Amino acid sequence: MQHKLNNLRFWQLVKVKIQMNLKSEASKHQLNYIWWLLEPALFIAIYYVIFGVFLNARSENFIAFLICGKIPFLWFSRSVTNASSSIMTGTGLMNQIDIPKLFFPLVVIGQDLVKTFFVFMLMLSILWTMGYQPSLAWFAIIPVALMQLLFISSLAIIFASFVPFLPDLRFIVQTFTMLMMFASGIFYNPSQFLIPEHKVLFFFNPLAAAIDMYRDIIMEGLLPNWNQLTILAIGCGLALIVAIFLIRKFDHNYPRLVLQ
Amino acid sequence: MPVQETCIRLENVGVTFKSRKGFFRYSKHRALNNVSFEVYRGETLGVIGRNGCGKSTLLKLLSGILKPDEGSIKSYVKHVSLQSLQTGFDSQLSGRNNAILMAMLLGHSKDAAYKALPQILNFSELGNSFEEPVKTYSSGMRARLGFSVSMLMRADVLLVDETLGVGDKSFRIKAEAVISERISSEQTVVFVSHSGEQVKRVCQRAVWLDQGEVIKVGMAEDLVDEYEQYSLGA
Repeated sequence: MQHKLNNLRFWQLVKVKIQMNLKSEASKHQLNYIWWLLEPALFIAIYYVIFGVFLNARSENFIAFLICGKIPFLWFSRSVTNASSSIMTGTGLMNQIDIPKLFFPLVVIGQDLVKTFFVFMLMLSILWTMGYQPSLAWFAIIPVALMQLLFISSLAIIFASFVPFLPDLRFIVQTFTMLMMFASGIFYNPSQFLIPEHKVLFFFNPLAAAIDMYRDIIMEGLLPNWNQLTILAIGCGLALIVAIFLIRKFDHNYPRLVLQ
Repeated sequence: MPVQETCIRLENVGVTFKSRKGFFRYSKHRALNNVSFEVYRGETLGVIGRNGCGKSTLLKLLSGILKPDEGSIKSYVKHVSLQSLQTGFDSQLSGRNNAILMAMLLGHSKDAAYKALPQILNFSELGNSFEEPVKTYSSGMRARLGFSVSMLMRADVLLVDETLGVGDKSFRIKAEAVISERISSEQTVVFVSHSGEQVKRVCQRAVWLDQGEVIKVGMAEDLVDEYEQYSLGA
């Protein structure tokens, strides 16, 4: 049987659902939309207090360094964690309507993307006030962020497609995001601490590469290595195609899993 | 009877559910076995059987939610939908926004969803509550909203499950009136019930299902009598 939703309507639905979810989420909290910014702002404030005030020895550079690492990492960990259980939370709906299951992780990814846009804007304005002058190079953040989006989407959809079969996988997702936090050089400078042989391997991790590029762009005004960026984007794009293939293949297995 | 155009054709359909019993151990449950019948355009087909006979599995197959393990289902129509949506509401959003989402989830465009809103509001009798978050709704109000959306967004084949409640008594009467109106019109309806009387009243043909197997397919009148005799005897 064919899906009732054609492509155009499917994307229209994803868009409307994202808008509605954002609206709904904001209405749950007293300060609604402000929380999107307040939360990362609190993170930054904590770093400032710990590293800038208590551990006085660190320079202001280090705080900027942390911000450029932590904020993109938060985007990654949020999206992957939220999306991994998205099909599980959609079970009620998928048992009443025949809907492509890709819908569920896509909505989560889109929702987090909208919030991340504002968070990045906040991050950049804080860094600006800290003395990092915006330059034309800052526009290079856009392609780097797009590569990161491809990476996030592929992992989010792969996890989302497997978690319903093995709900215990959710524990692994948590461990995995933790691992990624250490493997992406958020609290240390990989270029400084890693031996050259490991460095190549280290920057195969698209998140580590993206964070490194954000730092170069924002703190040094340096453009990213376009070759590296292209290769990573192609790799992540292929992974995304595999992820979409998987979730489509299992499309009609998910409603059954609920009954197990 | 004139030559009938087929909407949905089921051929030797079988569905087996696995349920997890322990560490990688599963038990199997055969929900449907070797089920074959056709749904013709414009007819009202009754599906009758006792609880646990596989009716809800059958509805999920017809609406495309489940795929059969064996056999095949061929559908020659676009929209097959359940008469009432029970879950999937976002309780933080207003009835209006939920109605838009639901209509779009049923496969309709955004424009069509917006266009149908006044009718949905009118039919659901929600009044000012339409703009209130669904979390403030009673279960009856939710049921009315779900029913109104799926009724007013036209489907090629409508799946009606009489075991699904649709709110308070006065609304139920109205709901039944709409269903009967649909049934008497060109709408193709699959009507699932365990009451023989209802099936006799509204359906031309019927399928008798027992323990996941089709006992008989035939004219509703004769089939229901046989079913009732069998049920009494059993």
